[in-house]
Amino acid sequence: MAQIFPEWTNKLPTYAVAGIAAMAIMVTGFFWYYGSPKYTDVGYRPKQPVAYSHKLHAGDLGIDCRYCHTNVEISPKANIPPTQTCMNCHKLILPESEKLLPVRESWANKTPIEWIKIHDLPDYVYFDHSAHLNAGVGCLSCHGNIAEMAVVMQVKPLSMGWCLDCHRNPNNHLRPKEELTNMNWIAPAHQKDFAEKMIKEKNINPPLDCSGCHR
Amino acid sequence: MTNRLKNNGKEYWRSLDHLADSPEYIKHVEAEFPDLLPEIQNPVSRRKFLGIMAASMALAGLAGCRRPVEKVIPYVVQPEEIVPGIPKYYATTMPFGSSSFGIVVESHEGRPTKIEGNKLHPSTLGSSNVWMQAEILNLYDPDRSKKVLNNMAGSSWDEFVSYWRKKREESVLNKGEGLAILTEPFASPTMARLQKEFIRKFPKAKIVAYEPIGNENIYRGIQKAFNTNKTYRPDYLYDEAKVILSFDSDFLLTESESVLAAKRFSKGRDVTGGQDDINRLYMIESSFTSTGAMADHRLRLSRQLIEHYVTGLYFELKDRGIEIKLNGFLMKIPVDSWDDDWLGAVAEDLIGNRGHSLVIGGQTLSQNTHELIAAINDELGNTNKTATYYPADDVKISDAGDYQSLIDDSISGKIDTLIILGGNPVYHTPEFSDVISRVPNTVHLSSHINETSQNVTWHIHRAHFLEYWGDASAINGTKSIIQPLIEPLFGGKSDIEVFTTIIDGTDRRGYEIVRETWRDILKSNFEKKWRRVLHDGVLTDSQNKPEKLKNAEVSSIIGFDTEHSVNSLELTFNISPAVYDGRYANNGWLQELPHPISKLTWGNAVYLSPKSASELDVTNGDIIKIDANNESIELPIWILPGQPDYSIAVEVGYGRSHAGRVGNGVGVNIYGMRKFGQLDYINGVKVSKTGKVYPLASTQDHGSMEGRPLVREANLDEYKHNPDFAKDAESHPPLRNIYPEHDYSAGYQWGMTIDLSKCIGCNVCTIACQSENNIPVVGKEQVGNGREMHWIRLDRYFTGDTEDPKALFQPVACQHCENAPCEQVCPVQATSHDKEGLNVMTYNRCVGTRYCSNNCPYKVRRFNFFNYTSKTPEIVKMAMNPDVTVRFRGVMEKCTFCTQRINRGKISARKEGRELSDGEIVSACQQACPTEAITFGNINDPESAVALKKKDNLNYELLAELNVRPRNSYLARVRNPNPKLVGYKTNRGQ
Repeated sequence: MAQIFPEWTNKLPTYAVAGIAAMAIMVTGFFWYYGSPKYTDVGYRPKQPVAYSHKLHAGDLGIDCRYCHTNVEISPKANIPPTQTCMNCHKLILPESEKLLPVRESWANKTPIEWIKIHDLPDYVYFDHSAHLNAGVGCLSCHGNIAEMAVVMQVKPLSMGWCLDCHRNPNNHLRPKEELTNMNWIAPAHQKDFAEKMIKEKNINPPLDCSGCHR
Repeated sequence: MTNRLKNNGKEYWRSLDHLADSPEYIKHVEAEFPDLLPEIQNPVSRRKFLGIMAASMALAGLAGCRRPVEKVIPYVVQPEEIVPGIPKYYATTMPFGSSSFGIVVESHEGRPTKIEGNKLHPSTLGSSNVWMQAEILNLYDPDRSKKVLNNMAGSSWDEFVSYWRKKREESVLNKGEGLAILTEPFASPTMARLQKEFIRKFPKAKIVAYEPIGNENIYRGIQKAFNTNKTYRPDYLYDEAKVILSFDSDFLLTESESVLAAKRFSKGRDVTGGQDDINRLYMIESSFTSTGAMADHRLRLSRQLIEHYVTGLYFELKDRGIEIKLNGFLMKIPVDSWDDDWLGAVAEDLIGNRGHSLVIGGQTLSQNTHELIAAINDELGNTNKTATYYPADDVKISDAGDYQSLIDDSISGKIDTLIILGGNPVYHTPEFSDVISRVPNTVHLSSHINETSQNVTWHIHRAHFLEYWGDASAINGTKSIIQPLIEPLFGGKSDIEVFTTIIDGTDRRGYEIVRETWRDILKSNFEKKWRRVLHDGVLTDSQNKPEKLKNAEVSSIIGFDTEHSVNSLELTFNISPAVYDGRYANNGWLQELPHPISKLTWGNAVYLSPKSASELDVTNGDIIKIDANNESIELPIWILPGQPDYSIAVEVGYGRSHAGRVGNGVGVNIYGMRKFGQLDYINGVKVSKTGKVYPLASTQDHGSMEGRPLVREANLDEYKHNPDFAKDAESHPPLRNIYPEHDYSAGYQWGMTIDLSKCIGCNVCTIACQSENNIPVVGKEQVGNGREMHWIRLDRYFTGDTEDPKALFQPVACQHCENAPCEQVCPVQATSHDKEGLNVMTYNRCVGTRYCSNNCPYKVRRFNFFNYTSKTPEIVKMAMNPDVTVRFRGVMEKCTFCTQRINRGKISARKEGRELSDGEIVSACQQACPTEAITFGNINDPESAVALKKKDNLNYELLAELNVRPRNSYLARVRNPNPKLVGYKTNRGQ
């Protein structure tokens, strides 16, 4: 009697297993990468209500971050400046500019400017700016080189794994107090010694426990 | 059941079902999540559940692709001093009838979120009570009235002012004939000044203060005893007293100045550090209260007999040579019908501690009885020692006589215009609705459109005290300021503003009016001193001197002794430890707060003794009909061991019809039966069964730990004889750990102790925790299912005789075990240990298996069965603490030792380059506790308060034999009974 299944069908299970495995790897890999904050969050660059350029203000004009983000060293939140801060200068500088119309409107009507949050941590994470700055972590470590950005975008994944990388080994991110806001600071050759000295001096002990950030 | 009760050797029990091991109780305890099964097995609800799940999955799938856009909205002009992310604290005062509580309010970017006591204020000294804590929710109550109404139609404040200006001209001409003001009692320099002005301008007008339960009888009794026309407020120094006898006064919880009383009482009750000279409390009461549970000797008596016992004390003292001057008649029926062994021993104890003893009476006792009590104190040499009297400046006290004549005048048509500043008279005095319909012009200032607002000519919406300017005088006369933290959310008006408009027709801001008063108080250098007052909240050193009263006399002594029986019961009315007199009915936190003794939530019930219940053949939840005063009311019953036989007790404050979405229809209003002008009890009450049943939600059997030595106590003698009794209660083989040991030797290691000798069961820790940690309210049905979310559960244990037990309290929150059983079973590591010894809960990791709760020996984990916060109105969200995550459905939660406070403290210490000092971090429960029963701190610091307490003999851990090594421990309770009375049981009423 002739065989019902030709001989090549014997290999079908092998192909099937191999195919399913390949599919599984592809699907996992797809979500692994495209579902991760590295893909979904990094590069987020929404259009803001005011075409404010950090590149112009912080980069070309060299205004310190803390001129506007005044509370960053004392408060968990790095405040977005009130319209008043903009108007300090723009009452005199470019008072007619088209681009500044929303700012002038906000000032005249006493309505706040609704900025879109870029570096947006989940609500169950309690990040404290002041604690990080006091430990010697500069702006650049999390926000990237803002002074080069005409429109601010997110450059780091801000995922928990990424946070923990630094909490486990903060050496490369510690800098002297006076360099905290310097976007062009280059780590000196003796960074490791410096970091170790800082860690000892300030008893820097970044929490690795859940309670460090989740409350 | 009685048979089973007899054969059961349980020493401590939570309910009669527990003691009898009834099948219902066993079923309840054995199921980890009681009442969950029926719901899952019910096919309809299961199908519905799957349907909802499918729908929500579909939505979740769509929503998941989008990144939610979040906005950051800065100020246009940033207010000076506000730093976003750092809360500000302001000192202000909470007016509460003629009392006031100094508070410090936490404000996040202009949004008040948490209330604490003000250490500088004499009535709080930094602690708080449940009502102070719950006021934050009242501020954001979405049911608050939002506009002025004229004949229930929308109007405006300006329209009212122009109406009143015209109306006022008539009143000025006729000197206020036919004009009357009804206020709540107050103690405020500005209100007192306005009252004087009002009387000057309208000499023929009436001004009356009234509240349904208040201190009128106490004040009047003192006036009579010392033969004076001036009003005095008594300030009792419980910390100076060695022997305290309370006649139906729940002074630790529901009476005035309870925060201060609890603080002072517990100071005299400190047994830690080897002290053994503690006070002794005798309590004679008509219903089981917190104070009764703290008593060393408790006698349960009908309220009428309690009055008689005061007379009895007079004679017992007389027999022992303490004679009180009597300048009137003496009526004693029948003679010597009190328990003279008991009362005699108490009298001896009082005499043995002359000048260090104290006799007090509750608000509900008659004026004559209070007169006698004041005279007894005087004769015992306690006046100016343990009982001090401050002149009641700036105080308007509640006056039932004035109130009655106001009602009569209104009904007979003598009153043309009635202005009601606050209060809800129609609710607590049903005949007041006639007043409203008879008087042509009525104005009602109230925070809600309540029962009284229904038919008034003008309703004015009242601002919350966190929104207006005002002031107050504390019990000792210390003046304090009420300053707003937020503009009125709905543009309401304060009493002071409305009163000013009534007087002079102007429309002025409260700020100006209050400053005008304070210019006279502060005199020179006003602005500087004013700023100081705003900073401190109080004017330091502004207290009065206690007046040296002496030579008290009694005008008459009257004794009553009516026989009560099952056919002729006594009915007593009590203030609710949750909703007070009804003013807090729309507050979800308070409605869900278990009663200290009965553990009932969401409603009131008739409390009756087990004996009365068995004679009436009723059981918990049966609805009975009460007939008295030609009224009949149907109420469910609750069997309360320790209630006097044939005396039934009901709490007022429930059954509101116009309280708001939370309070409407919760419980039954009993005010209708409490006929006005009567004492707070009725004799000859008949009850009958209706056959109906009402499900009551009590938490008394929730989270049971099954008959192990959880609460430990001893009498003072036993403690002196064996200081280690608490540790001797446990015996187990050497404890070894199968898991690797953590190293807890370095850094901060957080720990807590709770002193059971001091815990009065007031529940303020529960509410403070709820406010601090954004804990949701779940509603009556869910409480009935055992799903209340309170992180701190206040277990109340009974011990002794089932009819007349003693009670004691034990607050149980997460014990923060070093070898936590919950951590070992969590499949996703959502609960884990941090290196400071905290058992932490990571909400975003939790997948809701509930294994942890199953494995928790203390039953302290709470699961979000539903998304309780999804329907929270926007405005209530403003009460949330921004430092704590709001939890979602399907997430387990529990006490965190206030990890947000620990982190805030650690970060600020680090920024300042220093170590934390002991006492710098206080948990919310510790901060609120009026008796300082809770100590929290770093146990690695051998000098810290908590480390010292943990070394005490009395220190023990709950279920130590499990080797879970809890970081929370308890100090065993020490009672101080009179050796002459120990083991003594009264025959009266049994």
